[in-house]
Amino acid sequence: MKIKVKLYTILEKYAKGKVLENDTIILHKDTTLQGLSRCLNIPDNIGIVFMVNASVHDKNYRLHEGDEVKVFSFIGGG
Amino acid sequence: MNNFRGGYCGKQLRVSLDSKKIVKENIDASILRKYLGGAGYAVKVLYDEIPKGIDPLSSGNKLMFATSPLTANHIPGGGSIMLCFKSPLTNAWGESRCGGNFGPDLKKAGYDFLIIEGKSKEPVYLVINDDSIEFRSAIGLMGKTVSEKSKIIREELSEPKISVMCIGPAGEKLVKIATVMFEHRAAGRCGAGAVMGSKNLLGIAVKGSHKTLIAQPEKLTEVTKTCLKILRENDFATNLKKHGTTGDMAANDAAGDWPTKNWHSNSWGKAEQLYNQFFKKYLVKNHGCYTGCPIACGRISEVKEGRFKTPVHEGSEYESLSAFTAFVFNENIEAAIYATHLCNEFGIDTISAGAVIAFAMECYENGILKKEGVGGIDLSWGNPEALPELVRKISLREGIGDMLAEGVKIASERLGRGSEKYAIHGKGLEAPAHDPRSGKVLGVAYGTANRGMCHIHPLEGMAYDSGKMDWGLIKYGVPDPNTVDRWDEKGKGKIVKILQDALILPDILNTCKFFMYCGIYIDHLAEFLSAVTGWNIDGQELLKVGERVINLQRLFNVREGFRRDDDLLPERMKQKPAFGFYENEDRCIIKDYEGMLDEYYQARGWNTETGIPTKEKLLDLELEE
Repeated sequence: MKIKVKLYTILEKYAKGKVLENDTIILHKDTTLQGLSRCLNIPDNIGIVFMVNASVHDKNYRLHEGDEVKVFSFIGGG
Repeated sequence: MNNFRGGYCGKQLRVSLDSKKIVKENIDASILRKYLGGAGYAVKVLYDEIPKGIDPLSSGNKLMFATSPLTANHIPGGGSIMLCFKSPLTNAWGESRCGGNFGPDLKKAGYDFLIIEGKSKEPVYLVINDDSIEFRSAIGLMGKTVSEKSKIIREELSEPKISVMCIGPAGEKLVKIATVMFEHRAAGRCGAGAVMGSKNLLGIAVKGSHKTLIAQPEKLTEVTKTCLKILRENDFATNLKKHGTTGDMAANDAAGDWPTKNWHSNSWGKAEQLYNQFFKKYLVKNHGCYTGCPIACGRISEVKEGRFKTPVHEGSEYESLSAFTAFVFNENIEAAIYATHLCNEFGIDTISAGAVIAFAMECYENGILKKEGVGGIDLSWGNPEALPELVRKISLREGIGDMLAEGVKIASERLGRGSEKYAIHGKGLEAPAHDPRSGKVLGVAYGTANRGMCHIHPLEGMAYDSGKMDWGLIKYGVPDPNTVDRWDEKGKGKIVKILQDALILPDILNTCKFFMYCGIYIDHLAEFLSAVTGWNIDGQELLKVGERVINLQRLFNVREGFRRDDDLLPERMKQKPAFGFYENEDRCIIKDYEGMLDEYYQARGWNTETGIPTKEKLLDLELEE
């Protein structure tokens, strides 16, 4: 299935080679957010917040065709 | 000669403004070994010297400018100065850090600490140039903005590069949220500017030609190289440089760590859009707050045209932009940038200013403040026009600004009529832009911070709970954050105890806190400290110093009457958000704050009923014989 994914700040580098130019990624059906994170090789020890279609979801959420995912982490400071 | 092998000048400068007496005092090395510097040594001095119960704006208060052995441009993160005093906002321990070159230049002039006491009859500014200390009339500085004051002082002295810290018009008017500024960097929190203003001291200029000895220069070179390599390879450092602290706005909004509409919610869904506007349209470049910073997370921005036109200036950072957008429900980023700039020029704290305006807007919504009583300003939520206007009124104590200049606690006590529940503060200090409902470590940290509700004591609970950062402290007893659920309350009190002991160290050593996000941990600080002083100090000893300092600050507050009942969280801060991403999240509340406090006091060795450190704990920390 195709989903849209956008990575922010310290996570941006994990898009390279995985996420296409139009922010699209192809995943197996029923992939969870944790599965997406692993597919992108984001280390497990980084604190992450997922948003899917403008709602917050935890890592066990199962993705659907056409979902728009935002993956945030924290720089710190402030 | 002094007894120090390196790191310290071994002298403190005591300036009595009443008598214009200046004394250069030697410092006892054994005391410094126990308290090191910064907020550590300062609390020892101020606990011993400030009498109980004095009015913070009376001549009996003292204002300390404190450096540390690591205050130097060549030490990564070494460009800060700590200002310590009794706070007029809280009547408790007050401290505030400011980036910039003032600290390194005070050391170059030959002084580790500057103690200001008494009150001058006439407005003055102080000029420190090595051994030469001079008072100058500040009549011509009165009413001038921060930039104007700095410019005039430099011109009068024919010293275009001399470091200047000064207050703005707000400090002169004893606005309790007033700052002391270095350029556009602020010693912002707790009202240091009002204390300086109460002494009729409008500015301090400093330069020097001394070089502080380094006990082990080769070791220092080695540690510095190691740390610079860590910083070069660190993603957080790269992103702090690119995005600054503002880069976390969208993430914090998503995480429920973005207090919105005077804490009605902890998210808004607008941060990404607001940050993108700031980054793409108004950010000019990044900037280091002190010469030589290898990260340079500061922002330089500009609004080129329009009613909120703002010249190229330093700002805005995460807290400031959040205070003038989310706090007040404002979607106009230009107004937020302009209001921040005005705060820096008038010399008021952006966090407290945003909070006090949010408070006023809620009072307006509920009919406690009316249009005719606020000078005709429309204080509806999110009105961008109200922001610069209220910043100016607060700074100059005009109209409604006179009451708001007292901060939300006192303003609500004066207004009454239920406005107290809209005053979101801890011990009198307005809450910053992080929300403990979504990460409970922050709740205990907010409630127990000695200076009041504060986002960096310790270094952000949310960075632990949600960011899963451990700052190298797992070996010192902090649980791996990846094993800790941000929603849980149990265990958080114990965690806060260790985090506080460790993460107060940048305030004691005057090192930039953000370097700790980037891999420079307390073991590195211990190595730096050992190299410059020649003392053999490790991370464990640093933690002990941190604990000692927190306890002595606590004793300062206990002496002023603070007890467990003052370690409060506002009710709204414990309740489920009224709207936003987490309005239906049942875990987004604080259920048992008192239970977390019990756990914290037990971990601290404090009496759980009173919150006072026990005799055994004080003996253990060598705070009592």
